[in-house]
Amino acid sequence: MSKKILSTVLAITVLVLSFATGCTNKQSTPSTQEKTKVGMVTDSGTIDDKSFNQGTWEGIKKYAADKGTIEEKYLQPSGEQETDYINAINDLVDSGYKIVVTPGFKFETAINKAADAHKDSTFILIDGMPHEEGKFDFVKHDNVVSVFFTEHEAGFLAGVASALSTKTNKLGFVGGMKIPPVEKFGIGFKAGVLYANKTFGTKAEIVDYIYQGTFDDVAAGQTLAAGMYNKGVDIIFHAAGGVGAGVFNEAKQRAEKGQKVWVVGVDVDQYETGKISNGSSVTLTSAMKRIDVAAYDYIDAKLNGNFPGGQIITLSLAENGVGLPENNPNLSADTITKVEQAKKDVLDKKITVPTSEDELAKFMK
Amino acid sequence: MWDIITNIVPLALAYTAPLLIIALGGLYSERSGVVNIGLEGLMGIGAFTSALVISKTAGNLGHTAVYVGLLAAALAGGIFSVLHAFASVTMRSDQVVSGTAINILSAALTVYLARSLTGSANIQIVSGFIKRDVPVLSKIPVIGPLFFREAYITTLIVFLIVVFSWFILYYRPFGLRLRACGENPQAADSLGINVLKMRYIGVIISGVLAGLGGGIVITTYSGEFSPLVYSGLGFLALAALIFGKWNPWGVVGASLFFGLAKTVADMSKLFEGLKGMPNIIFNTFPYVVTLVALVLFSKNAAGPKAAGEPYDPGKR
Repeated sequence: MSKKILSTVLAITVLVLSFATGCTNKQSTPSTQEKTKVGMVTDSGTIDDKSFNQGTWEGIKKYAADKGTIEEKYLQPSGEQETDYINAINDLVDSGYKIVVTPGFKFETAINKAADAHKDSTFILIDGMPHEEGKFDFVKHDNVVSVFFTEHEAGFLAGVASALSTKTNKLGFVGGMKIPPVEKFGIGFKAGVLYANKTFGTKAEIVDYIYQGTFDDVAAGQTLAAGMYNKGVDIIFHAAGGVGAGVFNEAKQRAEKGQKVWVVGVDVDQYETGKISNGSSVTLTSAMKRIDVAAYDYIDAKLNGNFPGGQIITLSLAENGVGLPENNPNLSADTITKVEQAKKDVLDKKITVPTSEDELAKFMK
Repeated sequence: MWDIITNIVPLALAYTAPLLIIALGGLYSERSGVVNIGLEGLMGIGAFTSALVISKTAGNLGHTAVYVGLLAAALAGGIFSVLHAFASVTMRSDQVVSGTAINILSAALTVYLARSLTGSANIQIVSGFIKRDVPVLSKIPVIGPLFFREAYITTLIVFLIVVFSWFILYYRPFGLRLRACGENPQAADSLGINVLKMRYIGVIISGVLAGLGGGIVITTYSGEFSPLVYSGLGFLALAALIFGKWNPWGVVGASLFFGLAKTVADMSKLFEGLKGMPNIIFNTFPYVVTLVALVLFSKNAAGPKAAGEPYDPGKR
């Protein structure tokens, strides 16, 4: 008898717990006035990935906190296939979500289909543009805005800062998958180093330039970082999500022993991620993409009736869409001045940061 | 070349340590006659617990917090494995189903708890173990740079546990009894061994070791708990267990093999001499080898004969 009771209790506990897990995202804010429902579907990774998803979600939440006119919710799709994304979008639209924000290029084909199916809904596609599967021609939908960033400009500034800060003159780059935004970060980084070498007479060299191939292999990140640091590299720029977590881990362990090694963060200000036990951080600076700003701005545009539907918009250094963090405690005053100068050169169009290897070959020649 | 090897081997050892300890956990469980497919989930519980404990206590305890975290991880893994033991030993349910349930529950529960306790599914620890050169030993030529330079203390702990386990399993009455329960529980029972108790012990030890493995993941190469912790290390450990033919030293060999393959695959991009090597071969290596091993060994079944069968005293 007692066995039966025990097993029932266990079964119920398991059920309750798994239910509780499923319900974490539910919003329970009863509202008196009509609020626009804004939904978000997460890309690979979770909502608190300290990167893409989190940035987008923070932008949406900030809007909700600032204006109070929206009701927000996010869904994590059950997989990373197009059908999973479409299902998640359909779920949101079916429960009355008028604006759907989707971060990441993986949504491109899903949004292309969903935008046709749900003409009344508005889609904000960050870092991608709707296109058909297999073809890469932009398909215009009046209810979709595509927001891109000039990652190469952020990477460029990170490259300049790294070239000016390195003591060993050896730099490394760890990319995740070889996809356009990651590549642009990398090319910009190379260009930044080149610029610093030519303009400020630094002698920095990128000795390792690697795409790990995933965004989630933490162990590989540590292995790669260890190999690079062993070779004398002292600054690694990562554009690799979870792989970057491994890079940070290796850098922090070395910093705890007193070694002078640095990591350049990506997407968001990763200063906190790099903190070690004495309170300092291994994060030299971060090549930021203001994903939060993009989400915030285009929700605002939609609600105020000036939504740039059907357009492809690129947020650049000029719009503050990309750049380095405002505070960089690990950069010297001299470096900051010189980075500002580089930034000014880009803004004044004295130089154009390359976006491909071909352009890079011609850059500063 | 030597330079490359001294770069790779210490890192491979660091990656092998958690894999090995989780596989060893699986060995205890399967030797007692309970298939434990829930190693991944138990590892996750350990990883979550250690990250939580370390992040909460590091302010007061300093570096001691890391050890406290490891102990907590082992404890949590042990407690969580009681679920599996209860379902598969006492209730005689299908061990594979119960293990799968452990995996699903663990992945969901830890992320849920992490969010509700810390506000984020990522729990970062400020500092874990740090790779150091072992004094004196690292000066030995050849062996020193390979095994004692840039080493984690956890690797040493893991190898001590392996030696201890081998001794216990093959040279103490307890080990004989445990193995008997996995080979022929009816015979063991007829000689007065409490099969249920031995199986509970086997499963709980596997939970403790898998939890410890999760703690090692956090304190060495990961540095933070996140859903990425569930990357299949527990399943790789199962593969190592099978490839190692359910024998402690075989498991050591298999784990080292897998750890080395993984590290070489990652590092191959960094060294001129290795750049030409096809990455995909190293990355798929553990899985292909396990499949081949299964095909080759399945005839003269190397595994415990009664593993996977609930013990039914009435059955002969």
